[in-house]
Amino acid sequence: MRSIKAIFTKQAKDMFRNPMVLVQFIIFPAVALIMTELIAKSNEDIATNMFVTMMAAIFAGMALVTATAGVIAEDKERKSLRFLVMAGVKPHEYLIGTGGFILLAGLIASIAFGLIGVFTGIEFARFLTVMIMAAAASIILGAAIGIVSKNQQAATALAMPIAVILGFAPMIASFNETVAKAAGILYTQQLNVIVNDFSANFTKAITVIGINIAVLIILFVLAYQKKGLRG
Amino acid sequence: MIQMNNIVKRFGAQTVLTDVTFKVKEKEIFGMLGPSGAGKTTIINILTNQLEADGGNYSIGASPFETGLMLDEDGLYIRLNCLENLNVFADIYGIPREKSVAAIKSVGLFDAAKKTVNTLSKGMRQRLALARAILHEPKILFLDEPTGGLDPATARGIHKLILDLCANGATVFLTTHNMEEAVKLCDKVALLHKGKIVEQGSPAEICERHNAIKTVPDLESVFIKLTGVELE
Ligand SMILES: Nc1ncnc2c1ncn2[C@@H]1O[C@H](COP(=O)(O)OP(=O)(O)O)[C@@H](O)[C@H]1O
Ligand SMILES: [Mg+2]
Repeated sequence: MRSIKAIFTKQAKDMFRNPMVLVQFIIFPAVALIMTELIAKSNEDIATNMFVTMMAAIFAGMALVTATAGVIAEDKERKSLRFLVMAGVKPHEYLIGTGGFILLAGLIASIAFGLIGVFTGIEFARFLTVMIMAAAASIILGAAIGIVSKNQQAATALAMPIAVILGFAPMIASFNETVAKAAGILYTQQLNVIVNDFSANFTKAITVIGINIAVLIILFVLAYQKKGLRG
Repeated sequence: MIQMNNIVKRFGAQTVLTDVTFKVKEKEIFGMLGPSGAGKTTIINILTNQLEADGGNYSIGASPFETGLMLDEDGLYIRLNCLENLNVFADIYGIPREKSVAAIKSVGLFDAAKKTVNTLSKGMRQRLALARAILHEPKILFLDEPTGGLDPATARGIHKLILDLCANGATVFLTTHNMEEAVKLCDKVALLHKGKIVEQGSPAEICERHNAIKTVPDLESVFIKLTGVELE
């Protein structure tokens, strides 16, 4: 617990001084706000929340993967992680500490999205639930990518294509039935379904996202066992 | 305090350590002396359980919590300041944060305590890394080239710190390719060449054995005599 708190605090301080990571938590809500105010609200043909749902899904499904992978790969590349391991920090403590703060930042960004969007009570609750679950899935996936990568560059090279597939599958799915069926197993698709239509099957969505999280945890454990935290 | 017996380490087809055997007594400063690529870092990595040896065994008379280390890379958080870096570890160890201040003072970085690591010189970073290594007052210190790449004045500062630590009861295992440093600091040294220890003992002993006492023990010439190559 001590270690988790120490690493969480470190991550909090670090992120506010790291523009590369910080910008990802600001840019997507900012774009959502601008597009909603300038375009969606004055255009009859566009759903008012279109840009909110689009940016929120890209943020939770893509930005958090690349951000987490980058943060963890940096700790590996600079050998900071070795010193933590030597000081007795356990892998789950490191992950909960680091990922936990990113999740908190993700929650704050999600609330910002929610406020920009014109969501009512139950919609807001569902929105936050799927956002935070998808964020958790992305952070675990990002952590697994960070762990298998030697350095930040390698992490970006691996995280980008994966994040793009996860992020864009829902968009392609909206044009193509077959893709939609296949993409249904992805947490990003379920996130998209819910944020676009709050009357969609919520139980199914959170079940699928939950299964995604479980699978990603297994993936992370495998990645950790193969590569370790020591770089 | 530290003992290595017949350690063998291979990376693929390359044998990096062959039959490495030595013993470090409590409160001793032991230097592993050898040129770049000799296998010094690999020995530290094995002793600190970061690498597994392919043969032989070793023992260390301290728990991981009682060891401090400086590796070939400092691993500092570059966007945090000096004190914040140490506080992360004080919190992990569960020791009071005053210890961070004490450690920062002891390496002479108190005036730079609020400086971001990014803005520090190499010598300052090295001293901060040493402060982190001694933060929890470990019994054993592993220092991988603690003065590597530093100017002589900064190196002397670090030498003094290492001697002080030892006087206060710490056992120090360090690596270096600088024979002056080895002679000045170490109670015992081992000369490492291509993963083999070619000689070991106190600097004076070794030089006597090889008739290399001039005004000061001349380990460099012993090394050249035994291996045909220079240290730097
Ligand atoms: N992870 C590794 N994989 C392959 N070869 C390595 C690895 N680490 C070190 N080596 C090789 O082992 C030898 C000794 O390296 P090292 O212990 O770092 O030497 P030193 O610290 O004395 O400069 C070198 O030839 C180096 O290339
Ligand atoms: Mg080395």
